[in-house]
Amino acid sequence: MGGISLNYLLRRLLVFFLTLWVAATLIFIIPRLAPGDPIAAMVARLSYQAGFVENADLIIEGWKERFGLNDPVYVQYLRFMTGLLGGDLGYSMARFPSTVTELVGRALPWTIGLVGVATFIFFIVGNLCGALLAWARTPRLVKVLIPMSMIFTSIPPLLAGLLLSYTFAFLLGWFPQTYSYGFGLTPGLTLEFIASVLHHGILPAMAIVIVTFGYWALGMRGMMVTIEGEDYMILAQAKGLKPFYVLYRYMIRNAILPQMTALAVSIGTLVNGVVLVEVIFNYNGMGTLIVTALREQDFGLIQGTSFILITTSALAVLIIDLSYPLIDPRISLEGR
Amino acid sequence: MAQDTQVQDAPVVAGGTKKAGMLNRFDNPWLNWKFLGGAGILGLLFFIIFLGYQFWDTDLALSARAPLNLPPLGFENWRGQTGIPEHPLGTENSGRDMLALWIVGTPRTVFVGVIAATVGMLAGIVLGFMAGFLGGIFDDVIRLAVDIAITIPSLLVLIVIQAVLGRVDLLTMALLISLFSWATPTRYIRAQVLSMRESGYVQMARLSGVPVRDIMFKEIMPNLLPYLSASYIGNMQGAIISAVGLEVLGFGPQRIPSLGVAIFFSIEAGALFRNMWWWWGIPTVTLSIVFIALLLINLGLDEIANPRLRKAS
Amino acid sequence: MTKKNESSSDRVVLKVDNLRIHYATPQGDVIAVSDISFKLYEGETLGLVGESGCGKSTTAYGILQLVQPPGYIVHGSIEVAGTEVLDLEEEELRKFRWTGLSLIPQGAMNSLNPTMRVKDQIIDVIEAHEGKQSDKEALRERIFGLFQNVGLPNRIYNMYPHELSGGMKQRVCIAMGVALHPTVVIADEATSALDVVVQRIVAQTLVKVKDEIGVSLIVIGHDMGLLAQIVDRIAVMYAGKMVEIAPVANVYAKPLHPYTQLLIESIPSIKERKPLKITEGITHDPRNPPSGCIFRLRCPFAWEHCAEVEPLPIDVEAKHEVACHLFDERFEDRRANAYATLANS
Repeated sequence: MGGISLNYLLRRLLVFFLTLWVAATLIFIIPRLAPGDPIAAMVARLSYQAGFVENADLIIEGWKERFGLNDPVYVQYLRFMTGLLGGDLGYSMARFPSTVTELVGRALPWTIGLVGVATFIFFIVGNLCGALLAWARTPRLVKVLIPMSMIFTSIPPLLAGLLLSYTFAFLLGWFPQTYSYGFGLTPGLTLEFIASVLHHGILPAMAIVIVTFGYWALGMRGMMVTIEGEDYMILAQAKGLKPFYVLYRYMIRNAILPQMTALAVSIGTLVNGVVLVEVIFNYNGMGTLIVTALREQDFGLIQGTSFILITTSALAVLIIDLSYPLIDPRISLEGR
Repeated sequence: MAQDTQVQDAPVVAGGTKKAGMLNRFDNPWLNWKFLGGAGILGLLFFIIFLGYQFWDTDLALSARAPLNLPPLGFENWRGQTGIPEHPLGTENSGRDMLALWIVGTPRTVFVGVIAATVGMLAGIVLGFMAGFLGGIFDDVIRLAVDIAITIPSLLVLIVIQAVLGRVDLLTMALLISLFSWATPTRYIRAQVLSMRESGYVQMARLSGVPVRDIMFKEIMPNLLPYLSASYIGNMQGAIISAVGLEVLGFGPQRIPSLGVAIFFSIEAGALFRNMWWWWGIPTVTLSIVFIALLLINLGLDEIANPRLRKAS
Repeated sequence: MTKKNESSSDRVVLKVDNLRIHYATPQGDVIAVSDISFKLYEGETLGLVGESGCGKSTTAYGILQLVQPPGYIVHGSIEVAGTEVLDLEEEELRKFRWTGLSLIPQGAMNSLNPTMRVKDQIIDVIEAHEGKQSDKEALRERIFGLFQNVGLPNRIYNMYPHELSGGMKQRVCIAMGVALHPTVVIADEATSALDVVVQRIVAQTLVKVKDEIGVSLIVIGHDMGLLAQIVDRIAVMYAGKMVEIAPVANVYAKPLHPYTQLLIESIPSIKERKPLKITEGITHDPRNPPSGCIFRLRCPFAWEHCAEVEPLPIDVEAKHEVACHLFDERFEDRRANAYATLANS
């Protein structure tokens, strides 16, 4: 296999760090491009909500001083970037003593878990369905049933979440409607807690899976159809290999490679969907955190949450890209 | 193996002694049931909406024009009220008539998708052709930009923007979404242009001194049309998903709601817990129908563009 | 290179009888292979030639039961060492493949699975037919033995196809093709995509391996010069018909069928520059072949009888048959005339 070529590695790392830099810069610039002084307005709103109407100017000044908003923009930018490098995302404005890092640290594992499990399921189920759709020996009944199960494909996960929540949580009561684990449970490695997490996670994960796996099935089917026309498939047939072996070693094994690339490309869209599904289920991950921050006009928290989620997505893409040469023997030499 | 190249898409049946009934792939490709079905569903939907504009009072979509929380005709809400013919699809908690809301809201949601997808697509065509045809530094920079833009979940940046701007009108929202809907078409068109550029007939045209502009618009563009349409429809799906997402987070126009905004209101009011299914359900089902129709069109266009997928199944 | 004529016995290992293969199209079936019959003797190397589209590859794939839809076998019989291939059930056919009939494809093309190591692609065929091999060391030695047969270095054992040259890939295909010592091996344009020098070396390897292992071989190709070096008999196909099948020496010394004559004359010679006799390919619509003789539209000697009656194969001597009315005893005068014309041209 010869390992990953240096060129490929450098390019993937360049994309990764540029992504982080672009995201950080956008998040820094956007509030400052807006008309008026939204930060001051937000601080003012906060002060107002806290009940200090008198001496508002002084208080705003005090807040601005505290957050360093009176310095020149480039100083703020440098401080913002060095802060990010050190993992310091500043304070939450609405819940002042808490740092953004603390709040994000509590929410991020839930989102990663939800996305991870959902991805694992839809990638396997989707590719398997696609392979079966294209395989000549699949029973006719299966070939009819699979497309029927793909009816929800392309619907936003958010809407699927609404439908699932209403049907299976509200009407049937099989699953809880909100949150990621049962009320009154203390997180820990107890059987009860794990069971509760799974019970709460099924509907949100399914909301993502049922709208997504069809895409993978269609993509896989297209790849399989292409591969069926390859010369090595004729040879595989001539060799008298067992049909099932040909299916997984010659067809699926080769068709899965472009699907991995597609997975890396789809991470961004996937995260978009998960954020909204979390809102529907009030799942205590990053999506719900960002919506709470929106409601509380907690701009520091919005910035921090967005940045960390973007970083996580970029990291996921990097991991997929770097593991790709391990499964495709051709990539390491060609250097892409 | 000369004889086998044109039959590559055929399923591998041991021996191939049976006569294969797959002749329909030689028919007119545009007579594709997925494409026609999807287009038909959308057409029918908009015809009904058109009728709605003619025969229903769309002002009822404004708040306080109707009794509150009424269920659709033939159903009963948690207070024991039954639906009335004046508001056949029921009403929500600020007194909007759901039918009027549906008539007004559906085109508004699709509008955002069309605008955002069109702007993104135009940018994608320009960038994709530049990267694929000019190559060199153009290609390097555009590819890098695409890689970055595709990695970043657009919703997060849109949330940051909207957190600053607050609620915006639909056109602004569409333009904001289009800032993030150029990358996928660019990537796709670049790949297609690259493969066409290497194809025999384009090479031939270049060697015989046909100007680059003519090659682009006379040789490559027509062959790309089905791909471009499929990409456009896909882009529209993406744009509507973003728009609905932003609306459900509360960023849409509030006076005359679109479907996403209606869902936002219903979630805020706890409609899911109060069994007011018509409130969020009607927008959800309508959007789902739009998405399924777009998917069908997209799949149909894919098959039109790629005959290999066009096999009887 | 010495001829191996004496090595071929009279025992028939492959008997193709009345084989017909069509390709379905909306405008009607294309007749790719039209009722052809021939025999392959034990230890023999048979060359199958003809211009592109004549059905030689389809014939091979028909024998191998690899005709891909919309192609299908209409009727016929394919007997390999007493087994009727067309009657085999699916699982029987699977087991019969590679042990009875194996294929050496154009290895320089995409015939090897790009994501599998060379060894794994040879091991999978062994294990598919002989079961899981527990003795890994013996398996390795066996594959090294195959490599040695075809002149491959052992270091490619763990390599992937893209790391090999075209010639090496072709040798891998040969090694794979003979791995189970099949009764009949079919080499489909096995040297076509290689450059001239490598072509020669690979062709020699093919003959050497064939002799060592003692299989019977069908070589499909269009390079008459190269085929003359390695085959015992040549079968000439035209538009789905077998027009002549003859010992290689006969074909080059005195080609009988008018089409074979054209083919032989079209072999370029370094000694003299001669105008090309063959001007165009198959001219008729393959869905509606002409009545009578398939070649009559291009044949310089055709007369009314050729349009009325289809010529059947005529045995002119041992292992040499030709399907042309000129060799019917009734038309001896015409044959004499034809040869006279030919000699004058």
